[in-house]
Amino acid sequence: MSSRTGRSPVRSAAWRISLWATLAFMCGTIVVFIFVDRFVANDIQRRTDAWLSGEVEVLGDVAERTPNDSLYNRVVGEVAELASREVPEKSTSPEFQNDSVFFIQTSRNGALKLWVGAGDGQSHLQAIQAHEIDSATPISINVRGYSTPFRVASEPMNDGGRVYLGLSERDQRRVILNLRVRFFVLWLSLVLLGFAIVFFTSRRTLSHVRNITEAASHIGESDLKMRVPISSRNDEISQLGHTLNRMLDRIENSVHQLHTITDSLAHDLRSPLTAIRGKLETSLSSRDVEQAEPIVSAIEELDRLTDFLNKSLDVAEAKADALRLNPTTIDLDGLLRSIIDLYEPSLNDRGIRIRLHSAAPVYIVADEGLIHRMIANLFDNELKHLPASCSVDVHLQELDGEARLTLRDNGPGFDPEVRGHLFTKSVKGKHSSGHGLGLAFVDAVVRAHAGTVRAENTDAGGACIILSLPLAVRESKRMQPTHAG
Amino acid sequence: MVEDEHDIQAFLQQALSEAGYTVDLAPDGKAAENLAKNNKYDILIVDLGLPDQDGITLITRLRQLGVVAPVLILSARRSVDDRVRGLEQGGDDYLTKPFALAELLARLRNLLKRNAPQGSELTRLRVQDLELDLLRREATRSGQTLQLTPQEFVLLEYLCRNAGRVVTRSMILDKVWGMRIQPDTNVVDVHIYRLRGKVDGTGQAPLIRTLRGVGYVLQDR
Repeated sequence: MSSRTGRSPVRSAAWRISLWATLAFMCGTIVVFIFVDRFVANDIQRRTDAWLSGEVEVLGDVAERTPNDSLYNRVVGEVAELASREVPEKSTSPEFQNDSVFFIQTSRNGALKLWVGAGDGQSHLQAIQAHEIDSATPISINVRGYSTPFRVASEPMNDGGRVYLGLSERDQRRVILNLRVRFFVLWLSLVLLGFAIVFFTSRRTLSHVRNITEAASHIGESDLKMRVPISSRNDEISQLGHTLNRMLDRIENSVHQLHTITDSLAHDLRSPLTAIRGKLETSLSSRDVEQAEPIVSAIEELDRLTDFLNKSLDVAEAKADALRLNPTTIDLDGLLRSIIDLYEPSLNDRGIRIRLHSAAPVYIVADEGLIHRMIANLFDNELKHLPASCSVDVHLQELDGEARLTLRDNGPGFDPEVRGHLFTKSVKGKHSSGHGLGLAFVDAVVRAHAGTVRAENTDAGGACIILSLPLAVRESKRMQPTHAG
Repeated sequence: MVEDEHDIQAFLQQALSEAGYTVDLAPDGKAAENLAKNNKYDILIVDLGLPDQDGITLITRLRQLGVVAPVLILSARRSVDDRVRGLEQGGDDYLTKPFALAELLARLRNLLKRNAPQGSELTRLRVQDLELDLLRREATRSGQTLQLTPQEFVLLEYLCRNAGRVVTRSMILDKVWGMRIQPDTNVVDVHIYRLRGKVDGTGQAPLIRTLRGVGYVLQDR
């Protein structure tokens, strides 16, 4: 039962919970970021455009008012130069060369009149003219030789020419990129941290659940007095533990109640039986054989009644999973040999052959008395129901951590009428002589020991009873750590 | 004997007296304590369900009072209590109701024997003209060797050790096969028939007698 504790964390519930939580967190934060990103980009754009529109107006004004003399180019050029120093989101790189801003003044025929910026301005002019800008609202223009487009605003002049002010979107994009990189790094570390936190907390929490499961699976196997461990915190898990323990209290109570009832029933029936049997027996010794006959058969009937009473109460208790066990280590191989030794003469007398196929000792932990009676029951069954010249094969082996006991005969098999409910109380075949508790008792004992029993007809038509009981845990296995953490 | 049921008291007293025991009766724990204080007994028979106290408690108290006699516990309960098992390991014995008188007497004898000084272990048993060599695991009747299986020898040995006394089927199952079971088939009888076939040959006086409803006796005279 402790094998499942050693499995990999990837298959645990904690892993799944953390995975889903992280996925949800990732998606949520991505959506939020997309909104923020869009908002920031739009805002930068808006501010850039506002600056461009304002500046182009000022520059247009300056160009208008400056007298058209030899100093004209220098004055306007300087003003444009100054304006370009106030560029928003300006790159702070040391080798700042002002290729992110340009100023163009054209004459009426569209020829370049004044150029402020890097290079000769021809490619800028061509790009602008290709777009035919005619309003103060800035638009984006791709200029040959530049990887990022320029945002360009223009203003008409009184002389029919125009002034253009362009600002590269490079810096603006760098700001956005910066924002994205930082967000990504932060986001990744948050996701990883979140995953780790969720994983470890849920694993810790679930380990309490696992402890409860582990403990609960042992309760009932051994005794009902045990309780599941309760963690000190008053959380849902400890509430689960409390609930389970209260449930166990109630179960223990009803099982105790059942024991009290069966005990007092047994006591109340056995005391008179003892008295009757004793009286019959004492009167037997003072009589001759002729008179003894009815007394003897009365005693035999009484013994059968006692046996029936014992078995019914056992079956009743086992049906409620309340059979009281006193487990010791038993060698099934040795037990089978002595039971077969006991039954073989009777079987042989009826012309039935029996063979045991068992190679080595098979140890189980079980209540010795109950196991003895159960196996005796199986053999009683064969003895009562098998016709002459049949044979019984008894196989005992260890299989998948279980002791597998198989009784196979070549008789007529189980009655089809009763086959479906062989293990229920008081079911017996038409020609059966027993009180019908035999197999119900077998089932009860096997179930009480956490085993299984199946009954079927073989292909050849004989009856086959297959019984599995958990093997005794070897010491070396028990020493292994039960679970990590 | 501590027993509260009047019917059981009566037949037990009769049977025990017939078997040669002197019996004092106590209907409850209090009376039992008083009797035990004033008398010395060889053996105690204690019923577990007493009106005033639990049988186990009584035994513990008696032990504290210095009563060392072995105890045969009678129990009408279904399962054998762990505490009873504990007592059993301490040299006492238990019997579940209803029981065969023969078994009660046999268990009493065993308890008394256990407490008696141990004689040297026998190597030969002799009942009339039947002789068992316990070391060589050989049985002879009137000088003729009997062909017995090992299990039949153990069965015959058990009968010989209890020669002249009744042994029940459940006693045989317990002592010879080591099982406390109640088979509803005649498995023990078949073993006895076979053994009888070998021991009581033609022309010989039968040694093994069946008492129907009770058990078997190996006659010692």
